[in-house]
Amino acid sequence: MAVIAHDPHHSNQTHAEVTRDVVNTLGTADRGYFIALGVAVLCFLVGIGTFTMLLKDGLGLAGYAPPVMWAVYITTFVFWIGIGHAGTLISAILFLFRSPWRTAVYRATEAMTVFAVMTAGLFPIIHIGRQWFFYWLLPYPNARFLWPNFKSPLIWDVFAISTYLTVSTTFLCVGLVPDIAAARDKMRGWRHKVYSFFSLGWKGTDNQWRHYTRAYLYLAALATPLVLSVHSVVSWDFAMSIIPGWHGTIFAPYFVAGAIYSGVGMVLTILIPLRKALKIEHMITEYHFDNLAKLTLLTGSILFYAYAMEYFIAWYSGNPFEQETFWRRAFGPMWWAGWTMIICNAFVSQLFWFRKIRTNLTALFVISIFVNIGMWFERYVIIVSSLSNDYDPYAWGQMTPTWADWGILLGSFGWFSMWFILFARTFPVVAIQELKEMIPMPRLRKGGH
Amino acid sequence: MSDQTPNEGMDRRRFLTVLGATGAGAMAVSGCSTERIEKLVPYLVQSEDQVPGIPTYYASTCTECSAGCGLHVKTREGRAIKLEGNPQHPVNAGKMCSHGESALQGLYNPGRLTGPKTRQPDGSFKDVTWDEAIASLAGKLSGAAGKVAVISGAGRGTFSDFLAEWTAAAGGRVVRYEPFAHEALRAANLRTFGTNELPAHDFAAAKYIVSFGADFLENWLSPLENQRGFAKSHGYDNGNMAKHVAFAPRMSLTGMNADEWHPTKPGADTAIVLAMANVLLSERSGNPADANALRGALAAFTPEKAQESSGVGAEVIRRVAREFASARPSLAVAGGIGNQHRGAVDLCAAVNLLNYIAGNVGTTVNFGSDLDGGEGYGAVEALGSDMDGGRVSLVLVHEANPVYSLPAKGGFAAKFKKVPFKVSTSLYLDETAALCDLLLPGLHALERWDDLRPRRGVIGLMQPVMQPVFNGMATGDLLLKMAQKAGGAFSRFNAPSWEAYLKTQWQTVARAQGATDTESFWRAALQRGGVYTEAPVTAVRLAASAGQIGSTPASFDGSEGGDSYWFAPYASVLGDGRFANRPWLLELSDPVTKITWHSWVEIHPELAKRLDVREGEILRLTSPHGNIEAPAYIYPGLHPDVVAVPLGLGHTAFGDYAKDRGVNALDLLDAKDGNGFLPYLATRVTLTKTGQYKKLAKTEGTTRQLGRGIADAMTLEQAKKGLTPALALEEQGHEEHEINTEREVEAIHGFRESQLEKRKHGAYAAEQPMWGMAIDLAKCTGCSACVTACYAENNIPHVGEDEVRRGREMTWIRIERFWEGGGDTGDPLESRVIPMLCQHCDAAPCEPVCPVYAAYHTPDGLNGQIYNRCVGTRYCSNNCPYKVRYFNWFAYAKKAFPEPLNLQLNPDVTVRARGVMEKCTMCVHRIRDAQTTARLEGRELKEGDVNTACAQACPSDAIVFGNMKDPGSKVMALKTNHRGYHVFEEINVRPAITYLAKVLHRTEA
Amino acid sequence: MAKPVPGVLAIFEHIDAACDAIRSLRAQGKRNFTVYSAAPNHELEEALGVTNSPVRLFTLVGGVTGCLAGVGMTFWMSLDWPLLVGGKPIATIPPYVVFMFELMVLIGALSTVVGLVVLSLAKRTTGLAYDPSFSDDRIGIFVPAGGDTGSEIERIVRDAGAVEVRNAA
Repeated sequence: MAVIAHDPHHSNQTHAEVTRDVVNTLGTADRGYFIALGVAVLCFLVGIGTFTMLLKDGLGLAGYAPPVMWAVYITTFVFWIGIGHAGTLISAILFLFRSPWRTAVYRATEAMTVFAVMTAGLFPIIHIGRQWFFYWLLPYPNARFLWPNFKSPLIWDVFAISTYLTVSTTFLCVGLVPDIAAARDKMRGWRHKVYSFFSLGWKGTDNQWRHYTRAYLYLAALATPLVLSVHSVVSWDFAMSIIPGWHGTIFAPYFVAGAIYSGVGMVLTILIPLRKALKIEHMITEYHFDNLAKLTLLTGSILFYAYAMEYFIAWYSGNPFEQETFWRRAFGPMWWAGWTMIICNAFVSQLFWFRKIRTNLTALFVISIFVNIGMWFERYVIIVSSLSNDYDPYAWGQMTPTWADWGILLGSFGWFSMWFILFARTFPVVAIQELKEMIPMPRLRKGGH
Repeated sequence: MSDQTPNEGMDRRRFLTVLGATGAGAMAVSGCSTERIEKLVPYLVQSEDQVPGIPTYYASTCTECSAGCGLHVKTREGRAIKLEGNPQHPVNAGKMCSHGESALQGLYNPGRLTGPKTRQPDGSFKDVTWDEAIASLAGKLSGAAGKVAVISGAGRGTFSDFLAEWTAAAGGRVVRYEPFAHEALRAANLRTFGTNELPAHDFAAAKYIVSFGADFLENWLSPLENQRGFAKSHGYDNGNMAKHVAFAPRMSLTGMNADEWHPTKPGADTAIVLAMANVLLSERSGNPADANALRGALAAFTPEKAQESSGVGAEVIRRVAREFASARPSLAVAGGIGNQHRGAVDLCAAVNLLNYIAGNVGTTVNFGSDLDGGEGYGAVEALGSDMDGGRVSLVLVHEANPVYSLPAKGGFAAKFKKVPFKVSTSLYLDETAALCDLLLPGLHALERWDDLRPRRGVIGLMQPVMQPVFNGMATGDLLLKMAQKAGGAFSRFNAPSWEAYLKTQWQTVARAQGATDTESFWRAALQRGGVYTEAPVTAVRLAASAGQIGSTPASFDGSEGGDSYWFAPYASVLGDGRFANRPWLLELSDPVTKITWHSWVEIHPELAKRLDVREGEILRLTSPHGNIEAPAYIYPGLHPDVVAVPLGLGHTAFGDYAKDRGVNALDLLDAKDGNGFLPYLATRVTLTKTGQYKKLAKTEGTTRQLGRGIADAMTLEQAKKGLTPALALEEQGHEEHEINTEREVEAIHGFRESQLEKRKHGAYAAEQPMWGMAIDLAKCTGCSACVTACYAENNIPHVGEDEVRRGREMTWIRIERFWEGGGDTGDPLESRVIPMLCQHCDAAPCEPVCPVYAAYHTPDGLNGQIYNRCVGTRYCSNNCPYKVRYFNWFAYAKKAFPEPLNLQLNPDVTVRARGVMEKCTMCVHRIRDAQTTARLEGRELKEGDVNTACAQACPSDAIVFGNMKDPGSKVMALKTNHRGYHVFEEINVRPAITYLAKVLHRTEA
Repeated sequence: MAKPVPGVLAIFEHIDAACDAIRSLRAQGKRNFTVYSAAPNHELEEALGVTNSPVRLFTLVGGVTGCLAGVGMTFWMSLDWPLLVGGKPIATIPPYVVFMFELMVLIGALSTVVGLVVLSLAKRTTGLAYDPSFSDDRIGIFVPAGGDTGSEIERIVRDAGAVEVRNAA
């Protein structure tokens, strides 16, 4: 795990300042905020429009070209699921590891997780041929008592993702309650009423804290294996098949690392503008970005290793199908996508060996964009290029995405951003009570305790 | 009929229903109209041979080409839904070709004329009643005063005789014209043997077949019969198989099935034939005495000289000649559309000599069964000039489309327009009908009484199997009504109806057959589908003129310059264009190029490199007579200086499917008669790059199998040694992934065993049949009859050109065509074809990944696909190594079956909705039907009770379906053959389909 | 709003002062007072002598239930309508582990939250005097006290160093 250094900045702030600064981020919205929100909603509407067309005419509107039966939608699905993972990692796993730097950033990332998974959750519905029957994937007692096939990785997905969404949402809400209470006590008028409602009568009594701290700990303990399992399950959508380029035992760890890598990338992309917009630069600092960058470096290096392994095994296995697939991944019709993924993920992340880059916000932001692009392409390459040349050469074919693919992709970004932007001005994006927990309270007598 | 060969799906009840198909039966069918059928209102009074839900079979005859195959028409609730071969018929013996299968789309074609129409002054057509139409025609006829001409197809039967008499009575003449009429072959036979008959070729008996551009598997004489014979002789049968050598400028489907294909310079093949004849005469003793007389005349034609002119090595010619001579009986064939150059008569005559010298005449080449083949091209040209000269005042066109099928250069259309009154009986508004003044749409062969004489001794009968789809009238009835109206010279045509006329004519047939009770003879014939007798073979000797050796050079129009190339139009799936309005055939990928829906230009890789042409670049071909534009397809199976374009597209009328689609290759040809026939291979063209590109709508990904052993093959020697395909591969050097150490062997086999152990847990306990298939690649020619049969049986929608471009075609069974050798490999170019369909794997990868059990395994070993349950995740298709699952990206079925095409849909098969996956079901509905029948008859299901549509149609008998648990079954016999293998065996999905490796009859070097 | 409970509300700025007050109150035998703080604090917990929360029992029970539910659902549903796919066993452990795990986490987490809510409600907070600053930077101690006992308590908290003391009634 990333180096846990002591954060010099926290000590400079009193509890009162923390409350003030965070509560100031709430409610007050400027023009820029509404512009951002408007753009997000617009993109989302594009997505809605595209989906309507898909419902009306059929999936054929997208660029699918057999044998490529999965393409941009599943790519984007895996992309968003991956994004989610960084949040839970930082909020839950680092909580268990007691790493202090998570405190200031975890609320934002946790929120990102929830919204990312919300976004991903739409895709299994969007991408199927008869969207109106999506509920057939759930084990409900239908007329014929025909149950889903629990051997299918797709059903594993249904359970893994719905569990993940529920648990991470719960985790986020539980964490929010004391902070909403804090906000409540600063608010006047109708705002006070609203926050009073959402604070669920939180007073911060000794009894409440007694159970709260424990419950939070166990939630973190449950979320930790969950986050690792979810992307493993997603990776099995591919690994459980027999397609060269999918059928790899390395997939679970490889995907989990990739997920966290992409997630941290997204965290950077979001936090850098966010801290400016909310004027909390002094709370989310260089120190946090340094640690985030280290996390990126770690996971990026794991990806580097995974890519290398894939090629090595393809060669070492002597399996001609596998070899052909990986040869084409690098030099076939989709070479450009293949190299985009390798450069953006395996190589760009290596820049974080240098502290100067880790602490340079501009560099961080630019690189984080590359990370996002690279990880989207990783899934695109794994899915599309592997499918387009599997066993039977006669059936090979290349697909080119259409407006329907891009429309849904854009819509998913709109949907995600919309929720996040709404969240950022409505709920504390920095965990007030956890920050306070780390700031020693004033004493009458020096020394003492 | 009771000694029915059982494997044609003819159980007792069906046999009876065929018996029931008497006139009365047919009338009963006619008793309910198509409207009622569409609304599926049950019969008010049910006729005893019509049980809703139970198919009724009628014997009939196919009129799609002149071969005249026998049909069993499957009807349900009074509409024809499937055409199957008549097992008793001598021509097709129960088999079908794509063209025959697609006749239904001719019957239900949305482009059919709905009733009689007359042209109005403004040029548009107006509906009229039949009485008005007949009246107006009668009027014109009386006015025409002998200047009457009739253009009809070359089909021979009672109707053609009647038409001749009728026209004679009208004081006119009939010109019977077939675009692919083999006039050259007839002329050659006249020269060599003194008879202009076409012989019957016994491919089954031939041990060595040499073809000089004769595409006998596609459009040469009786293609289906040829293929049946070819499969028998050329298919591998423990140690024996014939060899097939092809000399042609282009590797056609026939060339693809040759063991040796030698690209020859167009027109230079005559020299090769003569050289072979010369070799035979000079090297062989025991040649026919009269043949030896030719030795002098032939002496000049040495293999060396042939090499100069044709580019084929002299040693090759010598070797082939010797092999040809030593194999007895052998067979040489020549001519045909693909090779109809100006010297075609000489070529065919030379081949006659070759056959004669080798002693094949009387063994594999038999005269005596042929009937005349129409007046031929010369007559059409003559008629054209008569029209031009105003010597024709009324023309009736019946089952012919000269305006399309004659090169535009000849200006036939213009001449035709000059005729004051033009009448067409065409079912469709084709190019010729579009120019006519009166449209009197006839009835489809499945809607009318008729007969057809493909050859002497064989008369196929047709009967109405259903109520006419539209308001047409059998042309026979029409002409009779006319005659009775007109009276006078026509008064002798007093039969009340065409059916009555036909039956009276058949009394003579009956007497000829020595029958006393003509009525029962008629009924029996109707049940059988006609009269099948073998005509005696007449012996022929060399005629005096036989010695005339090649004199007409195969000259070519257009500059001989370096930048011009021979232009070789050829007939493919769409034939002479008559099939271009049928989506099944438009979407059926060409057996050679795998392209669908549009025209293309084939150019040789070398030429492409030289001109820097890439696949899909649109090229302009310019000849002295016209020019066309089509996208390029780089094809190694060509003589380097030949460009080839398929015929049949570029219609300007003929329904929405055909109109304005592709280009008409005839536009590049001259229309001049090359002594008695139209020379197709007689032009040189120049190529111009347009720089535009068009993605070809082809169904293939790559043309090479990359050593993946999909369509395996072994040499004859290896087959004789009883090698398995894997061992054969190792012998040829490229060994599979070797297993070296003991440990690896144990590991892998251990793993496989454990996998099979696991399988058992899941296997159904019940005692069930286990359905499986064996496909013999030594027999499969790639003709694609199975594909169309599957479309017809399983309601498979066509998806259209653009969707095919994205690889979204729905062919449950597809013919994969791979190339071996050729190009820069240095080896000769060889083809491999393999029908690919759902393998119904025991350990099917598609099943466990389906989240909703839409894909699962049935107790009788089928890989079931439950359309209603499918939500369309498409995971099954991703996980299918054979890629034989097809997804409904759009509501294809809605678009593919517009009125009245939807009447053809098989009620036993679901029409798939949008968003669901579909695939081959091994005709599960037929299996269940057979099981029900067996249960009703209180017996076990037995071999031959059930057969799939593809296996039933396959003219080569390459596909065999059956119960794998029955050790005596035909399928098991094949599955245990040493040539048997599974595609992608290494992934251990245990397919239910076993392929038998192709056998290559290469020359022992 | 529930009827207010009479008592003394002491507001502290310093953590050690608050702890002293708590200790002396406990020394006085007071148990039912309530301590407000903006964040959990170890010194307060020590002073209060907080023991482990029983919420973990909810987690345990929920987790075990979930896991068993996973076993039950998968096996029963598979065998309820046995269909053969890919030649695999009808009901088999490996693929079903996923469901056991997911349901364990799901139900475990939900029951933890239920536990949190139930236990928190177990001790009343309504009607007790409260000051908004407690969620900011102050520590509050509310001691329910009827009539005269109030002054005694007031003395204790003032001695401990409360910055403000109110009488709630």
